[in-house]
Parts: sequence; structure tokens; C-alpha cells
Amino acid sequence: MKDMHSSHLGKEIRVAWAIAVKDMRTYYTQPPSIMFGILFPFTLFLAFTIGRNLPLAEQIPILISQTLFFASSSIGPVVIPLERADQTFDRFLTSPVSLLSILMGKTLGGITYGVLISVIPVLVGIIVFGSQIANLAALIACFALSSLAFSALGILFASIPGQTVGQVMMPLNFVRIPLLFISGVFTPIGQLPAWMQAVSFLSPLTHTVELASYASGGDTFFGPILNIIVLGAYAAAFVFVSIRFNIMNQRKE
Amino acid sequence: MDLAVNVNNLTKRYGDIVAVNNISFSVNRGEIFGLLGPNGAGKTTTIRVLTGLTKPTSGTVIVADWDVVLKPTKAKERVGVVPEVSNLYDEMSAWDNLIFAAQLYGVQRNERDKRAKDHLDLFGLYERRSDRVGIFSRGMKRRLTIAAALIHKPDILFLDEPTTGLDVQSARMIRNLIKELNENGTTILLTTHYIEEADQLCQRVAIINQGKIVAVDNPEKLKAAVEEHHIIEVSFSPAQDLNDKLRSLEKVSNVSRVGDKFRLHVEDASEVVPLLIDFARENNLRIISINTLKPSLEDAFVEITGLSPEVMATEKEQVRREKSASVG
Repeated sequence: MKDMHSSHLGKEIRVAWAIAVKDMRTYYTQPPSIMFGILFPFTLFLAFTIGRNLPLAEQIPILISQTLFFASSSIGPVVIPLERADQTFDRFLTSPVSLLSILMGKTLGGITYGVLISVIPVLVGIIVFGSQIANLAALIACFALSSLAFSALGILFASIPGQTVGQVMMPLNFVRIPLLFISGVFTPIGQLPAWMQAVSFLSPLTHTVELASYASGGDTFFGPILNIIVLGAYAAAFVFVSIRFNIMNQRKE
Repeated sequence: MDLAVNVNNLTKRYGDIVAVNNISFSVNRGEIFGLLGPNGAGKTTTIRVLTGLTKPTSGTVIVADWDVVLKPTKAKERVGVVPEVSNLYDEMSAWDNLIFAAQLYGVQRNERDKRAKDHLDLFGLYERRSDRVGIFSRGMKRRLTIAAALIHKPDILFLDEPTTGLDVQSARMIRNLIKELNENGTTILLTTHYIEEADQLCQRVAIINQGKIVAVDNPEKLKAAVEEHHIIEVSFSPAQDLNDKLRSLEKVSNVSRVGDKFRLHVEDASEVVPLLIDFARENNLRIISINTLKPSLEDAFVEITGLSPEVMATEKEQVRREKSASVG
């Protein structure tokens, strides 16, 4: 019985990985993925940084957070509507694969994209600006939890019925962009009024920014342990809600 | 009888719309079974329920001995699905599409390459294995979609409108493939709006209209059922649209146009022939030819549904063209 369960679990993981690899090969270089996952965070970062006399080296954790945020959360909203439009999503649904495996694969695709894109600013920081990783464990926690939470956030929004990227990306950006203003991206949390600090605590991006900053030797307002706990809670909540939403959506079919 | 598919009192509603209304039918193992009906009759919805894409509102569906609602994964392991639109990844090669399909169905790693090669060979696509599917013709995509649906050696194959939109040569190739697969033991359930196709391929046909099955039998029996009705095929010169005028003739129950000829469904041909001669004289028409025919499956379809087969085909082609235009 135990063997049956482990072989079933193994099959689900193998299928999820196959879906993730297929998404990487097929959709990572699609224009909407590049636009919303790469150009968007880099452009926002440059627009905010250039002309403000901010030391670029100190802004690297902000760039890492933004790329993790945008790249991880963009893959689901790009891939799923496109697959609905050309009916390739039906291929999963008619195969002997659980919806959980399909969503696991999609989430893995977002995680990998987010991590790959966000490694670039880390390398730029080290090679160009001579930055150092002060706390590797914090950086790994930041990458792992943030990419999981944001990828699941993207999958959650991708449950919105629609066959164009815009139909999903528009409501997602309606949430993503305001989060930038309350998450310590533009203004350090310590400099915000008390009520804004309370609001920023509720943003998952705050904790990504804080952990990235802590990993590069900076301070954190809420503390790394709390950052990890909150990000972990958000990751679990987004994964759970995205699965529930997608199941509900499927039932309506 | 050993059943591959057993559908009992299946109903599917979308809000107030009843797409499928309390239908029951079964497909025997090793059979080619066709769902024949016009656009919007409920064929695709039925296939979607059978393949687990849509949950039924009520009723039971057993596929390969498994209830598709209670044990969808078990049922899906035994079936292959070829949707109306070829759902392949255009960016990937033919080979990679098949390997991915094999991964989804849990085909062992050491088997995947062999099966992909065998299927590409069988469907005449091996030489094009490394090409992006995006550059394939519609017929090649259709063949590859069928190959992908067969990669896990299913017992049952569902095909939704397998030849719609294909050129004559590709359509013939697909029909031959379906026959070969069936001869090798695969049960086939297909939907079609091509009456001729259903007649050529299917051992049994269910005629579906407005969400209801109006007849299930083998094509010959369906034809025999309407044999008490006579069919007169007549052509006039000059050629013109005479459907409505002919339909208004006494003792004519239905009229359809086939090329330059009109097919009149009548109860007694000997009574209608003189009427046709009068009709030609009154309308200044010359009768080019006049014949009485044995009923075809198309005649049975017209008799049973009261629909014109031309209208049915035209509607479907129009939908397909609109889809192609919107994708383009």
C-alpha cells in the first residue's frame, strides 16, 4: 500500500516536472513573459533609480526583490491563458494527471523563471559592484519562499477565466503595482508613518525586500525570522487558494 | 455484450441552456461508433463529458469500466482523445510533442523513444520529426494529434470531428487510419457532421439533434427504416433554387439539393412524378433527369431530424472559418 502511494506520488512529481520543463522551453521566451517578467521590473527599477543619486550597489536587494516578484508571478498568467486559447490546457485535463500535478508544474515553472532572472542582479552585484552575500541562508530563504509565494499568486490570478494574457495580467497588475508603494521598495519601511508600517507588514513583497536586504548585510525592520514566517505563510496561503480557485473554476466547466 | 462506453441518462446544462438532454447509449468494445448531428447538437459536449473535461449535470458515464466522475484518472489512462482543434505545441518539434504526451501518460522512459519513432513512422511524419509543429499543414497536425493520443496504447479513442477542415487526401488518409486502428482492436467513438463519413466508417451511429439522441442503429438499418419513403432525384434546366417551390408540392415531405439535383422525399413516387412534370411545365423548366433512389444514410438523417444536410455542413464550415479568422 505504502509502495503504491509512493509510486503514485512519484508519478505526480514526474508529471509536474515534465509540465514545468515544457513551460520553460515553450513560454520563457514568449514576448509577454519577457515583457512582464523581465522588462517590467528592470524598467521600473531604472525609472526609480536613475537621476536620484542613489548608490546602485545598495539598490541591488531592491532589484532582486522586484525581479523575484514580477518574474515568478508572470509565468502562470502568461502560460495558462495561452494554453486555454490554443486548447493545449485541455491536453492536461484529458490525461490521467491530477489538477494538483498540473498546478504544481505551472508553479514550478514560475519558481524557476523567477529564480533564474533574479540570479542576474545577484551576479551583477557581486561582479560589477563587489557586493558580498552576508547571509547565504537568508538569501536562499528569500529566493525559495518568495518565488514560491509569487508563482502561486500568478497561478491564483490565472484561474480567472480568459484566453488572453491581458485578461489575467490586468487584474494582477492592479494588485502588484500598488504593493510596490507599501513594501519598502521606494521608501524604507523605517521612514514610513506607523499606520503605513502596519500596512506594509501585510505585503508579502515587504518581507522579500527585507530578506534580500538582510542577506546583503543590511537591516530589517521586522526581523528575518518574522520575514521568513510571514513569507512562508503567504506561500502556503497562495498555493492553497490557487488550488481551490482552479478546482472551483474547473467545476464550473 | 462487452461495453467500452456506457452512457445513462446523461444531461449537461450550462445555466438555462440544456446542451445534452437525458441521452443514453453504449459503445461495444472493438466498435466504431459515430455521433452524427449538426453544429450545436451536443456532440462535442458529450465528448467533453466522456473525456472528463466537463462534469455531467446528471446521469452516469462509464468509460473502460470506470465511472468518469468518480474515477476520472483510471478512465483517462485507458482512452486517447483527439479534439476538434489539434492541440499541439506549435513551438515544439513533432518528436518533442510526442515525448511530452508520453510523459503525461506515464509511459516509461525507456519506452518513450521507441513509441515516438513507431508512431511517427506509422503516421508518415518521421522525416519531419525535428520540425516545429507550427509549420505543419492542417492534415499533418491532425495526424500528429492522433499519434499523440495513441502514444500510451489506449483501448478507446475519442475523435471529435476528425476530418473537419482537411483536404480530400488528408481526410481519406485519416479515415483509413481510423479503420486500421479499429482492425487492430481499438474502440473508436467519433463525432462527425459528415453523413458520408459516418456511413463509411461507423458500425453504429447515434443521430443527435438539439441535445437529444433521436436514433441509434447501424447505418443499413437506419436506411431500411426510411425505405417505405421514396426518393426522387430530379434536375431541371435552367438551374435555379427551387427548394421552397418543390417543398410546397402535394405529397412531398422534404426537399434537399445535391449539386444540380433536387432530392424529394415522398410517400409514393408514382403519384409525385406526374406532379413534377406539371410543375416543370408551369415554371417553364425542362427536366434533365429524373430517378428514384434507394435511401442513403443522408436520407435517413433528413427523415429523422427534418434537417437539411447541406445546412448542417455549411454551419460547421462557417464556424470553422470564423475560428480560423479569429486565430489568424
